[in-house]
Amino acid sequence: MKSTAKQLRTEANWPPEEGQIISFKSSTGSETTILKEVRWGLVWRDFILEDGRVIPEHRISGCPQPQVWRKINEVTDHEREECEERLLSMAGAGMDPRRRDQSFWAELNQYLAYTYLRFKQAEYKVRDAER
Amino acid sequence: MSRSDEETEEQQVWRVLSEAGLVEIRLDEFAERIRDVKRIVIVRLRELLDFNSGIQERESAAHSLGTLKGLELKVLAHAPKPPDPSEM
Repeated sequence: MKSTAKQLRTEANWPPEEGQIISFKSSTGSETTILKEVRWGLVWRDFILEDGRVIPEHRISGCPQPQVWRKINEVTDHEREECEERLLSMAGAGMDPRRRDQSFWAELNQYLAYTYLRFKQAEYKVRDAER
Repeated sequence: MSRSDEETEEQQVWRVLSEAGLVEIRLDEFAERIRDVKRIVIVRLRELLDFNSGIQERESAAHSLGTLKGLELKVLAHAPKPPDPSEM
């Protein structure tokens, strides 16, 4: 454990800063590790750990509820297109999305959630307008 | 008061995504979830074509559909093969 790492104690400091110690739920139970970076995806925040794993915000201990989500219309066309290119590139390179908590798994999760919300919401709006 | 009136926007997003199985996709369900999302995009694309409207959204939906198709093919290519019954 790094001596410079700071222990996260309260939700008031949310989201935690780089170098803080965070706890999260993994497939094997609860783990504690050092946070490298917090990054917004297309829908939610991902927490990048020192070992490269990518953990969605809702699995981090102390995540305030309800969780903060990005609005679909906040995502620019450019951002979406870059994400699509990255995903196709990772898939083309033979990366497997079934490797939990890895970048392809994390980004594909967010892309599918985003695309679903984007077109599902458009469908609701059309139906509301027709009423 | 409907359920959607009682929910905050954040709670609604969580519910919609959870019901669609898209908050954390199970490792063996990626191909199925990609197909689900493709269906949603196709429905929307059909609406846009029927009403001959939203050229930009139409192009964007078609592009997303292409991306999803490409991802589906790659994910299926890496899917673990079921056991051969002749070897059981």
